Order: sequence, then C-alpha cells, then structure tokens
Amino acid sequence: MTGWVLIVDDEEMIRENLKAYLEDEGLGVAAFESATHALRWLRDGTACRVCIMDMRLPDMDGNAAIRILHRLYPEMEFLIHTGSSSYSLPEDLRAMGLDDDRVYRKPLGDMAPLAAAVRALAAPREVRP
Amino acid sequence: MPKPISLRQRSRSTRPPAGVPSRVAWIRSLVWFLPVLLALPGIADAEMGWLSQDSIDFHGFAEKVQFALWVVVPAIMLVVVVLFWSWLLYRQTARRTRQLQRELSERRRVEMALRESETRFRDVTEAASDWIWEMDENLRFTYLSERFYALTGIAPQYVLGRTRWELAGVDSAADPQKWRRHRELLEKHLSFRDFIYQTQLTSNQKEGRYLKVSGKPIHDGQGRFRGYRGTGTDITEQVKAETALHQSELRLRRIIDLVPHMIFARDSHGHFLLANRATAAAYDMTVGELVNRSHHIVHRVDEEAERMLADDQEVIESWTSKLVAEETFTDHAGQVHTLQTMKIPFTEPGLNEAAVLSVAIDITEQKRAKEEVARMRLYLKNIIDSMPSVLIGVDPWGYITVLNQPAEQAGGVSWEAAQGRFFGEVFPQLEGQFEQVRQAIRHGRPIKTPRMTLEVEGELHYADVMVYPLMADTASGAVIRMDDITARVRIESMMVQTEKMLSVGGLAAGMAHEINNPLGAILQGSQNILRRIGPDMSQNRSVADALGIDLNLLNRYLQERGILRFLEGIREAGTRAAKIVADMLSFSRRSESRFALVDVEDMLETVLRLAASDYDLKKKYDFKRITIERDYDPALRAVYCDKTEIEQVILNLLKNAAQAMAEEGTPSPTITLRTLHEPDYVLIEVVDNGPGMDDKILKRIFEPFFTTKEVGAGTGLGLSVSYFIVTEQHNGRLSATSKPGQGSRFSIRLPRIREALP
Repeated sequence: MTGWVLIVDDEEMIRENLKAYLEDEGLGVAAFESATHALRWLRDGTACRVCIMDMRLPDMDGNAAIRILHRLYPEMEFLIHTGSSSYSLPEDLRAMGLDDDRVYRKPLGDMAPLAAAVRALAAPREVRP
Repeated sequence: MPKPISLRQRSRSTRPPAGVPSRVAWIRSLVWFLPVLLALPGIADAEMGWLSQDSIDFHGFAEKVQFALWVVVPAIMLVVVVLFWSWLLYRQTARRTRQLQRELSERRRVEMALRESETRFRDVTEAASDWIWEMDENLRFTYLSERFYALTGIAPQYVLGRTRWELAGVDSAADPQKWRRHRELLEKHLSFRDFIYQTQLTSNQKEGRYLKVSGKPIHDGQGRFRGYRGTGTDITEQVKAETALHQSELRLRRIIDLVPHMIFARDSHGHFLLANRATAAAYDMTVGELVNRSHHIVHRVDEEAERMLADDQEVIESWTSKLVAEETFTDHAGQVHTLQTMKIPFTEPGLNEAAVLSVAIDITEQKRAKEEVARMRLYLKNIIDSMPSVLIGVDPWGYITVLNQPAEQAGGVSWEAAQGRFFGEVFPQLEGQFEQVRQAIRHGRPIKTPRMTLEVEGELHYADVMVYPLMADTASGAVIRMDDITARVRIESMMVQTEKMLSVGGLAAGMAHEINNPLGAILQGSQNILRRIGPDMSQNRSVADALGIDLNLLNRYLQERGILRFLEGIREAGTRAAKIVADMLSFSRRSESRFALVDVEDMLETVLRLAASDYDLKKKYDFKRITIERDYDPALRAVYCDKTEIEQVILNLLKNAAQAMAEEGTPSPTITLRTLHEPDYVLIEVVDNGPGMDDKILKRIFEPFFTTKEVGAGTGLGLSVSYFIVTEQHNGRLSATSKPGQGSRFSIRLPRIREALP
C-alpha cells in the first residue's frame, strides 16, 4: 500500500466523511481532532505520506502544525482543508513546496478531486512528475 | 546825390540873381564884339594879315588907319574893359553882401534853436526818469543830475567823490565777476551800455535800487582821457515787475510739473514748445532736453508719432479742440500706455505761429479696469451658464429676469423670450415655489425644498429647489435654483445597499468558517451516503452480502420512496447555501495580496474554457452553441488585478448573456469579447446580441437581490457582486448599456495605474 493518510480536523463529521470517502478509495486513513493527538500517534512510529490539515484547531494553528510536522517528517506532503474564506498560504509554507492547488475550501461538494490529490501525493516519489 | 538836385533847383529857380548867369555870356559876346569893331572902319591892318590880304593896296591911308588902330582902338577897348570890370565888381559886391546878410540871419536862427534845445534838454533831463552822470579820470563821480537824488533818495555827499562799486557794496559782493569786468572796461576807457547793478551802500539799508547806466569816455583837445559821462535809469520797478513775472512763471512751471498728466505744446512742425516733467519723463529726458526737440526724433514708435502729429495738424487746420478718447503711447522703456488726450489750438505769443497744447491723461489702468469688468461680466455669465443647476432670476412679482443655459434647456425657451414672463408659466413644475419666492424676499434668507418630486417626460424625478433672495442694493428679487438629483438619489440608494452588503460581507466573513463546516458536513455526508448505497462499490456489496441485503432492491426502494431525490435536494440546497456564503464573502474588502499582473487575453481565454464546461442542462443553455468573437487590442497586455475575482465577474457576465439569449431563443447567439487600451483604464467588454433590456431594468441591474430570473434560478447577487468587485475592490468602473432587442454591452474598466488601485 501507499502508507497512511493523516487527517487533522476538529469538526467530527468532516473528519469522518473524509475518512469514509478515502477509505472507500482504498486508502489507510488516520483521523485526529487535534495536532497534539496526531503527533502522539506519529511518534509511535507509524509512517505517513500525506496529511490533510484543517486550519482552525483547538490546540494550535494549522500552519504551525504543518511547520512542526515538516521539521519532524520532511517527507510528509500536506493538503490544506479550511473553512476560512480569507486563508492564504504563508510564504514559508510556499517555500516548502505548497501552492494554492493544495488548498481546498470548505464546503467540498465533491471529494473526488481531493482524493485524487491524496492518491497522487501518496504514490512513490519517482512516479510523480 | 545832393548835387544834381541843387543844380536843378537853381535852374528852376523863379528869380535867379541878375548877372550871375551872364558872366560867361558876357565874355562870349566880347569875343564876338572885337572883330566887329575892327571891321567897322573897313581898313585892313597889314599886320593883321590874318584878317585880309586885300588891305595891302591902300598904303598911305594905311598909316593913318594904322595909327588910328594903334591908339584909338586900344583906348576904346581899355574904356570898355574898365567899364566892364567895374560893373563886374559891383555885381560881386552886391552878391557877397546879400550872402553875408543871409548867413547872419541863419546864425541868429541857429543860436535861437540851440538855446531852445538847451532849455528843452534841461527840462527833459530834469523831468525824465534818467539822469546824467560824470566821472573824473579817477572814475569818481563828479556830477549827478538832480534826478538821481530825487529818484534814489541818496544824498549827494554819499555819491560825489566815490566810485560806482563803492556805491554797490552788496551787489559787488554778490557778483564780483560782473564788477571786475565792469571795472576793467572802465580802466580801459571804453564806452559801455546798459550796465545793471543794485545800489546798496550798506546791507542794513532797507532796499537797494536797481540802476541801468551807459557811459562814454571824455577826452580833451589833446586826446587825453578826462573821465566819463553818461546817463542812468532807475529800473527798480521794472526789475521788480520782471522778478514778479519770473516768479509767477516759476510757480506756473512748478504747477505744470506737479501735474501727473502729460502737458505739452507742439508747433505745426512737431517741435516741442513746452513740456512738463511728466512728458519729459515719458521720454526719459529732462524738460530742457525735450523742449525744441522734434517729436519725430524723441518718439520711438513711428506710427504713433505720425498719428499724434496728424491729430495736431487736424486741430491746427480746423482750429477747434479735439478729444482723442484713446490712443496708444509707447514710453522710453517700451511700455505701452493708453492715453486720453485733449488737444487745443493756440497761437504762440511772440512767434505768432499756430501751435497745439495737449493734455494727456494716462488711462491705462482705467482701461484695464474697464476691460476687467467686461471680462468679469462674461466670466460670470459663463459661470452661471456652466453651472449644472437650473437658475432662474425673478423680480419680486415672479417675472423672469435671468435664465442660465440649463434653465433655457429645461424650459425649452431662450432667455430673451422668457424675459418678463411669469416663471410659473415657463416652468409649470415650479409654479408652487412662488410662495417661497415671496418668503425669501420678505425674510431675506434662502428657502430650501429638498427632494421635490417632479414628473419629467413621464418619469419620476427628484429635485432640490432652493430659492434665495438677491442681496444687491440696486435690484431686488430672487433666484430659483433647481438641481435634478434623480441620479444622485439613485446612487445614494445604491450606496445604501452597498453599505448594507458590506456589513453583510463583514458578517459573512466572520461567520463563513462556522457555516462552511456544517455545510461541508452536509455536502460530504450526502456524497458519502449516495456513494455507499450504490451497488457498484465492492465495499458496499461485501457489507450488504454479510448482512444479507440485496443492494439492487434497496436502491429500488430508495428510488420508489423518492429518497434519492431528497438526498439530491439536500445536496443542491447545500451547494446553493455555499454559493450564497461565497457571494456574500465577496462583499468584504480583500487585502491587496491577491493582486498580481495578469495577462488579459489569457484570463479571458481561461474564463471562456470555464464557461464552456459550465453549461447547465437544467438552465437550458449550451455555451457551445454560442459564437464567440474576439476583438482584442494588440497593444494591451497585462492588468494588475485579483485574477480570480475578475474571472468571476467575466464568467458571470458570460453566463448572464448566454442565459438571456437561450431564454429568448436568439437565432445566432454571439458574444463579443473586446479589450481596449484606454488612457487611464483597461477596458474589457462583453457584448451580446440577445434581447437587451429597457431603461427601468438597466437602472436596477446592479442592485443586490434584483433579478429578472425565476425564483431559485439565481441569487440576485451576481451583478451586484461583480459591481462591487470592479468598483470597490479594483477602483474600476462597471457600466451597462442596452436597448430592448438590441443586445447588451457590459463594460469593465480597470485602472491601469497601480497607484489608483485600492
């Protein structure tokens, strides 16, 4: 398999719906309501390729969480899923290789494009263009 | 030629003295008489051979005759001569006596005359203002006639024995040069005339007398200089009169020099006879330099000089004064003045020649002021004409006095035609303002009627009407000012709406996150439900099999009960809610960070692709059936904007056009995309050949929630959002023109200058 997909979102139904859709796509998904929980799970040694990150989290800002994760797991790729209309990517995140295509705005009427993006990022690196 | 005259007088004399003319005649007759005497005896004297040769024949007789001839004839002749001589002497003596008598009486007469003349001279000398003076060889006065003492009041002892300069101490101190010359002249014993001086023995004397003296040196028989003799005149009164005249002249001179206007006189040849200082100053000369100069020479501008002299000539010829109301005059510095000149002919005293006296007043300032007034009047008229307000000036009785241009247009009548008519007759919509006119004049303050509703050509218009009294002293009345504020009212209402939407936008931004999450749950949830009840997915089948459920049957059940349709309804409603939230978010102001240089053509092509893929079967239009024409300005490349926002605007316009044409069934639907490089803006136009719209709709299309679509087909926010994006977020303009049946044109103008952006 291509490894785990990490979802961090404090809204339970969003988290569950994304998890359900991606699992239906045959992906291994771990979903957490906070960055702290996600980090604890990662520290247990689970390898994870892609993370779908919400911005407004109970314990910290999504951007900060991405920075921490990137420092700890440089191989990890990020997708941003936010309900904030005014969100724009900070420069340092862009420097990590993130762009506006990685930003998905709630509500997602169709999860297929997000699933496709996850699949593409989870694929072995040499296959990616 | 006195000689011939005297000869002639003598020959004409009626009484010539006897004997005087006959002295010559006597001698001549004697010459003739002698041969007659010799011939009388008939004897020819031989020795008088020159008489006759025949006398030789009578010889004897000849001796007697010879004797007679030698004795008798000389004796006779002697007697004759003596007689003649004595007569002659007598004649001479008589003449001489007469002459002496005459001379004697003549001398007596001359002596008489001399005595008379002496008396006369003495009388004249004593009576005249002149006196006689004499000096000795040391130039000291020896004699002064009585007249001197009488006239000057100086006693003889002060004068006799003194020199002239000793009598004029003050004067000689004042002008030593004059006196030195006079003294030198006297010492050289030369005669002099009209030497003027002032006698003043001491300075404390009240007033000296002015004297004028002339003198001649006297020489005795041997030619030795004996002194001087001469006459003197007291000219004090004359000097005083002259001094007074001189002072009066000076005063007049000062007066004309003080006058700031140019006063001058020129003769008929254009020479200055007189000029005051102002005139001289205009030529940068002194008065002395200017006088006697020709006007031609001093005046710099020939044509001006010609004209002025021609005027002079005219005045001289007609011998009447002339007022030159305005003439140009260029002074020495090249500055052009305007003069008003009065020219008066006169005869120059002394010269007896015609001349012209001119008084020129510099009216440059007045003229400028006058022109300024005229200019100002025109300017004020322009101002009131250029004012967009309707201005109607009325008198206290409401009769029109003034209309400005907008008023002429509004009333459909010219000012001239409206003058004197009652304003309510020309402007029926304002008739009700007559009471306000009276009030304004009575109370002296303006009265305002805001937002008065009027009907203009069947449409409702708003107008602010202000009546204000005229405050001028000379004219009373009022001015009615009317401003059509319909457009402003409309804009104001739209601004109110926009403000409302802005607050909604602000609210939406704060709430978006809270709404988007549940919406996400709804939409994602319904997607998962639909996916997980379908029979296609292997996971569904395995779970169903484990539970012993036939998925196909389940699906049929859901279909039968309309559950799938309800689910689809939830999904659609969620989508629409999400769209409304997104639209409302557009009303919030964005940060500039999204702005970037965007290639206009690329952007338009992207939007066309989006539109093509967006066709909606339900909304019954197919974008692929529409002809797209591109009219891109090659000069135009990039524009600085928020790309996604402008894309949204253009997409919205394209969809509206497509939808309108589809609804109307336009035969060959065409949309033209046009770009144009304008000086300040980048113009993007979306033009369709659809049904268009009437004015009433056109005026309202940008209002939020205004829609012509059926309920549920649109949010009614599309164009207002577009308007907001273009005008508020980009500081641009969005306008629409349309006519029913003639398509619509939407114009987006985005500022080219980055500084003009928000």
